[in-house]
Amino acid sequence: MSAPSIPNLLSLRSGAAGGRGRGRGGSARSGRSGPGPRPSHDATIQGTDTDAAVSRLSAVELGYLSDPFARLFVQGPATRRLPIINRGTYTRTTAIDTLVDHFLATTSPDEPRQIVSLGAGTDTRCLRLFTSPANHRNIAYHEIDFPTIMARKQTIIATTPSLQTTLSTPSPLSPTTWQSHSLTPEQPTSPNNNTLTLHGLDLRTLTPSSPTLPTFLPTAPTLLLSECCLCYLPPQTTTSLLHHFTMSSSSSLLSLVLYEPILPHDSFGKTMVSNLAARGIAMPTLDVYPTAADQERRLREAGFVRSESVDGIWEGWVSEAEKERVDGLEGGLDEVEEWRLLAGHYIVAWGWRGGKGDLDVRIAC
Amino acid sequence: MSDLDRAIAQLRACRPIPEAEVRELCHKARELLIEEGNVVTVNAPVTICGDIHGQFHDLMELFRVGGDVPDTNYLFMGDFVDRGFYSLETFLLLLCLKVRYPDRMTLIRGNHESRQITTVYGFYDECLRKYGSANVWRYCCDVFDYLALGAIVLGASNTLPSAGGEPVSSSPDADEIEIEVRNSDGQVISQFLRQQQKDVARGRINRSTPNGGSSAIMTNGGATPPPPPSSSPPTSTPTHTGPPGSSATSTSAGSIGNPAGAVLCVHGGLSPLIDKVDKIRLLDRKQEVPHEGAMCDLLWSDPDEIDGWGLSPRGAGFLFGADIVRVFNQRNDLSLIARAHQLVMEGFKEMFDASIVTVWSAPNYCYRCGNVAALLELSEDESGMGVLARSNGDVNRSDGGMAAAAATGGWAPGPGGASVGGSGGQRGQSIVMDGGGGGGLLPARAGPARRYRVFQAAPQDSRGMPAKKPVADYFL
Repeated sequence: MSAPSIPNLLSLRSGAAGGRGRGRGGSARSGRSGPGPRPSHDATIQGTDTDAAVSRLSAVELGYLSDPFARLFVQGPATRRLPIINRGTYTRTTAIDTLVDHFLATTSPDEPRQIVSLGAGTDTRCLRLFTSPANHRNIAYHEIDFPTIMARKQTIIATTPSLQTTLSTPSPLSPTTWQSHSLTPEQPTSPNNNTLTLHGLDLRTLTPSSPTLPTFLPTAPTLLLSECCLCYLPPQTTTSLLHHFTMSSSSSLLSLVLYEPILPHDSFGKTMVSNLAARGIAMPTLDVYPTAADQERRLREAGFVRSESVDGIWEGWVSEAEKERVDGLEGGLDEVEEWRLLAGHYIVAWGWRGGKGDLDVRIAC
Repeated sequence: MSDLDRAIAQLRACRPIPEAEVRELCHKARELLIEEGNVVTVNAPVTICGDIHGQFHDLMELFRVGGDVPDTNYLFMGDFVDRGFYSLETFLLLLCLKVRYPDRMTLIRGNHESRQITTVYGFYDECLRKYGSANVWRYCCDVFDYLALGAIVLGASNTLPSAGGEPVSSSPDADEIEIEVRNSDGQVISQFLRQQQKDVARGRINRSTPNGGSSAIMTNGGATPPPPPSSSPPTSTPTHTGPPGSSATSTSAGSIGNPAGAVLCVHGGLSPLIDKVDKIRLLDRKQEVPHEGAMCDLLWSDPDEIDGWGLSPRGAGFLFGADIVRVFNQRNDLSLIARAHQLVMEGFKEMFDASIVTVWSAPNYCYRCGNVAALLELSEDESGMGVLARSNGDVNRSDGGMAAAAATGGWAPGPGGASVGGSGGQRGQSIVMDGGGGGGLLPARAGPARRYRVFQAAPQDSRGMPAKKPVADYFL
């Protein structure tokens, strides 16, 4: 029954990629097909931040998320992502927001507490927090990323008129470190004592023996955030990096929130690994911590503990009314199975050391 | 070489045809489709395919594995467009083939063949990108409105033919094979014998019914017949009329060599508003897919392991359980429902004692999911009992056929279709009684012999076709 006139494409498989197709308009990575030297792995990983920023803006423009700052970090016109990606962006963002809010709600606003965002890139969470109607106080927010990324971010903060009433002009603490104070329109003198420090450094250089980061508060309750960051580093490096913070902090509360892919060994996972490899992206920790249980074990070893898949967060954390609102934005998902596959391959894991089981969030909203 | 053949050649190379040609093609296609009923009658042999979603290179692989047009008759169950990067070339090629070989190609509508969905999921953007205007998208959407909502396959055989030119089945009981799975090279991966199926089915009856029905399936479909809808009691009204050779006149469920029952093909599934296939025929289909109602349900619903009906997580259509399928198939004298719509990692999935099957034909869906694809081959019954003119459109295209179908309440009667009703209803009853008495019949009608061919994604960088390395999105 087979048709011999049609060539077996599988037998014609060749290594060369034809780059004649069209780009996808607006996506920063679409121009990278065809021959030519590959960008370094570091540059490629930095490119994933552009991907995240574009996805964030897509979700914001369509009404999934409210974030007036998303536009600042995307060049060119907004690219509309597919609903499945928008729902994923929505779910992980609100999950981490929930955990951050919980951290802030369970630590005293009268004492300093700090949030350290690893590989923060163009993340806008700090700006959203500082302008939140919750009027948070005493937050020392640290963002760490490559020096070039942080330099660009401080430039955007310094030169964007609409941010002048939100943050003070970043002042250099070193050639690669900047600090801003949070402002409010009524009292432009940082009455809330919130600060943002941008640390331009290579995370791989942080070891247990390296000096404490400038402006890091060793005794303040601390939340470490890794939103798809540690997965790009070799496992020993992430261990060393996490040890740096567990050693630097003598606080009674040290919490960690991780967002990472899992399950690289089933057929979806294999395809994911190979697709990302084709883009030059490797996720070394994925092999070492392939399942949610492995991730939990990893956190437990560092004194931390719990995880939930993005699929489970959507099902269990998002209220029915909110699900209805979100699904109504683009008419709902066309493929539920595909969502379960994709969202089942990402988890948010979190845990704590000390405190009173402070991030023991099961259902938060 | 006609213009149409030239267009086909160009599209086969994955190159779009000019806007003016698209306009003409869509015009011709509409003239053809407007003559088809909501439920097209198709005669076996036919190869049934599920979602394609613009994965053009994989469609070429499908034709390589399943046989080229017009050597193989195809029935595509919708979702030609969206998600993949070549929705335009995919749909236009299928449409060209439909216009060129109308009796060899059957296209029915999927939930993505809709203006609203295509603006969200890619086809609209693709047309805009490739033509600079939305005209082509508009022409295509106008065709979508005319696509049939379902198809009935008649005359499928209970036995598998030897696959031409391929390794002959090694089984000594070739006639007894009900299900065969082959890979893309034609090699047999697995086979399931009909007798085994019978034993399994019978075993379930014996286990469940004497105990008052331990399984939901048998509770409704076996020991306790569900109350028939007041409008159409299946045992008293001769609702099952149909062409000879179809299940509608046959009481030979499962007997070797006789035609199997009819197969209903629909993109999504059943609707609580549709208890008989004839009700599908009465819908006004020539419109955008509505947000609710019978037409919406047919394109959006999914089978699920539930009792009765349930709300769909998709926000459109419903979930339906084994009991719903069982009753529907009995009432309509169907042996099988073939549908698409849901990603299945293995390419196909039979559910509910093989009363419904999902066929999925987009391998590595969205260049991301890592799944294989499948197509379903139903062979022609060659016992001489059901020789019908092989022109799937003719029956429905004549007003007389439509009117007669509506009048008798049966499927479109073809030549010689005036047959005695009632036997189907009697069989339905005997099935029910069999559930209690443990007789020799199957709890549900034995399905046609089914050959699945499973295939993988084609590489995008093959010679001779423009291709861009697909970039799959992840949550980065």
